[in-house]
Amino acid sequence: MNNRIREYRARHNFTQEELARLVNVRRETIVFLEKNKYNPSLKLAFDLARVFSVSIETLFFMEEDEKLGIRN
Amino acid sequence: MKRSTIIFVVVSMVIITALLWLLSAQGQVNTLDLVHTGVIFLLVVFAVFLGISRVRNTRRGEPQEDELSRKLLQRAASISYYISLYIWVALLIVKDRVVIDTEQLIGSGILGMGLAFAITWAILNSRGLQHE
Repeated sequence: MNNRIREYRARHNFTQEELARLVNVRRETIVFLEKNKYNPSLKLAFDLARVFSVSIETLFFMEEDEKLGIRN
Repeated sequence: MKRSTIIFVVVSMVIITALLWLLSAQGQVNTLDLVHTGVIFLLVVFAVFLGISRVRNTRRGEPQEDELSRKLLQRAASISYYISLYIWVALLIVKDRVVIDTEQLIGSGILGMGLAFAITWAILNSRGLQHE
């Protein structure tokens, strides 16, 4: 699974610390998510999508779908 | 009580106990004792690192623990449990071949378990948990 957290964070001008506080996790967790080293829980995925005002499918996607050109 | 406070209390107790043990040895310290002291030092450094990072998170207005840190601890605990079983089996094999005190054998086992946990946590923390 891959995500567009870094892209949306840049669009909203959030620092990693600000985003971490908004979704109530540590900054390290945001770092792990952006580096694709961690798949978040459904709750955290919902919280992140809510902060960026997008759907979960927009923020998180399967690499296979990306390769096939399926973009949400 | 905050978790970071508990960590620092436990670390202080470990340091005091280790100092008492070294003082009671009265200079009769062998190689295995030195290895034990080194491992205790490494574990203390690991615990202090965890404690400081928790305090830093609190100062930044972030939670001390979150789903990733809890998952890392749980995964490290489960992996190090399996490693610990092998450590004890290895120590039992060593016991039959080398003259070693029971206290030193048990001490080696306990410190080995602690070291296995710290190393596993460090590896998971650098590699991440993408496929968990």
